[in-house]
Amino acid sequence: MAELSKNDEQQDATPNVSEVEVVDAHSETEAVAAIEAPVERGEPILQVRNLQKHFPLTQGILFKRQIGAVKAVDGVSFDLHQGETLGIVGESGCGKSTVAKLLMNLERPTAGEIFYKGQDITKLSGRALKAVRRNIQMVFQDPYTSLNPRMTVGDIIGEPFDIHPEVAPKGDRRRKVQELLDVVGLNPEYINRYPHQFSGGQRQRIGIARGLALNPEIIICDEPVSALDVSVQAQVINLMEKLQDEFNLSYIFIAHDLSIVRHISDRVGVMYLGKMAEIGTDTQIYDHPTHPYTQALLSAVPVPDPDAREHRERIILTGDVPSPANPPSGCRFRTRCWKAQDKCAEEVPLLAVPERFQGSDTPAAHESACHFAEEKDVVHAA
Amino acid sequence: MLLEVRDLHVEFRTRDGIARAVNGVTYGVDAGETLAVLGESGSGKSVTAQAVMGILDTPPGRITGGEILFQGRDLLKLKEEERRKVRGAEMAMIFQDALSSLNPVVCVGDQLGEMFVVHRGMGKKDARARAVELMDQVRIPGAKERVKDYPHQFSGGMRQRIMIAMAIALEPALIIADEPTTALDVTVQAQVMDLLAELQREYHMGLILITHDLGVVADVADRIAVMYAGRIVESAPVHDLYKAPAHPYTRGLLDSIPRLDQKGQELYAIKGLPPNLMHIPSGCAFHPRCPMARDVCRTDVPPPYEVSEDRASACHFWRECLDG
Repeated sequence: MAELSKNDEQQDATPNVSEVEVVDAHSETEAVAAIEAPVERGEPILQVRNLQKHFPLTQGILFKRQIGAVKAVDGVSFDLHQGETLGIVGESGCGKSTVAKLLMNLERPTAGEIFYKGQDITKLSGRALKAVRRNIQMVFQDPYTSLNPRMTVGDIIGEPFDIHPEVAPKGDRRRKVQELLDVVGLNPEYINRYPHQFSGGQRQRIGIARGLALNPEIIICDEPVSALDVSVQAQVINLMEKLQDEFNLSYIFIAHDLSIVRHISDRVGVMYLGKMAEIGTDTQIYDHPTHPYTQALLSAVPVPDPDAREHRERIILTGDVPSPANPPSGCRFRTRCWKAQDKCAEEVPLLAVPERFQGSDTPAAHESACHFAEEKDVVHAA
Repeated sequence: MLLEVRDLHVEFRTRDGIARAVNGVTYGVDAGETLAVLGESGSGKSVTAQAVMGILDTPPGRITGGEILFQGRDLLKLKEEERRKVRGAEMAMIFQDALSSLNPVVCVGDQLGEMFVVHRGMGKKDARARAVELMDQVRIPGAKERVKDYPHQFSGGMRQRIMIAMAIALEPALIIADEPTTALDVTVQAQVMDLLAELQREYHMGLILITHDLGVVADVADRIAVMYAGRIVESAPVHDLYKAPAHPYTRGLLDSIPRLDQKGQELYAIKGLPPNLMHIPSGCAFHPRCPMARDVCRTDVPPPYEVSEDRASACHFWRECLDG
């Protein structure tokens, strides 16, 4: 535990993670007031500190005992600024969806804090928590299972108003729902239709309209376009960008498709096995990656250019991602890394600007959790 | 030509009417060649492949016309018994979802060995030995120890390797891979595609790669056929197509994907929705979504116009499209 807190201190010292200004609210009313207060554009709106989620592994039926834990998220820190899009990429099992659930307060973290405007949302309850929930909404991956097939579109989009009636008074709801349908590019007359009457792309628009219903400040998108066809993907991505400008939204955009994440994100974090491997602006991550995992990930993405076939360097990783129940010691990527040395097994690399780049203003100077961080362009053909 | 599909038509009879999934598809693949069939869901790319393999669900599916020539024989004229000898031994298929394509209650060694028992009449012991060899060949670590494991004990990438092992077991002349890496993570996807390409070279097999991913196509294919509403709208050598598409649908697809190597402006989005196969639009099926559509597109089905010797486009205005 002592090691963890030390870890925490050092991560907080890094430039991309700002100091948390904890708003000291003694009463619920003060907390609600802090949550309702507006945040300047570019200021941190969500600050995540050393977030952890361990799922217990138990054995036995009658006498359950814990034999271990799946460390789905194991010490993740980042900031989300007002009006920006933070992309989170990683392969299946890296913990990116668990991060989404934690931010939504759908799961309780094992340790760590999530500050929304200075309030730790993991410790809130009652009215204050309700106010937070109104302001952080989610768009899910699968537009087929995330909409109740027995509810009309009007009921689906209007349901959030049942819980937060202050946003839309009862008599005003129908008009409000139709307005939302119009905003996401659907015909307002479709209000009485059922989800099965829509195509995948249209359903995702319904999901987005539901997310927008309460005028939230943050929308967490968990793989919002991966179930859609290429030609429809572009429509939904364009819509999301338009809505961001129109309603001044901040997005956390979780996806495994690196090209889409680059397109929509201002900053990008790369996760591997429950930890953040590298985080920076889109140019820093895509054009100047310094973590070997990011480099391997980027080099593995097929580029729609047959000429790149011969000219691009491919880093083919060996083996599979280790189990998060029993992650490797030291650096978690070392079992698949071509640069791994003894140090990597002994010492956990911290997410910080690598020493060799400190003080310089090259794009390579961004946070990377690697002992041997080195810049390497893997995206552009040589 | 190793395989030639000529003017194939497939329809599905459903309660709500007839869905015309494939409407006159013609393509061919040579030994050692990789043909990518690109299309979105409902374009008929998988149905065509199922018809070639002879695993189409009939009913509701029905092949209503066309020929499938494999090494000179028309497969559609063969009896089911003869067809079964072709399937697996001379052409094999790799599916997208390895977990649901493998039998969960039979160990992988027996599933691989079954190929040799059924088609080659081998004994169980020899078949098991061949299974281990195959697993080594697709680079599954510790093949000897893992041959008795069940599918759920393997990771997604390893399961897909077992599917590949099963496909190459009898050294077929043709492999059809239907979205073989869609369910896999990018780093694993690269491993699996590499393995597939290597085995193809080794055995000089024809490969039909069915995918919706323009990146994967650019990486491995020699030729590409783009499908829309059950027709091939453009077919071309892969370099030519990416350089200058000769069909507005292909152009739209290429413009609508975000790029990894540059931060783009707003994405181009093809307007509208993919067509309903029960009511395919008249004339050119793409006309309601096409920025270049004119009156003739609503009435006349465009034939495959010859763009160059090895390139065709089913667009009345392919010249304009080619010029940008």
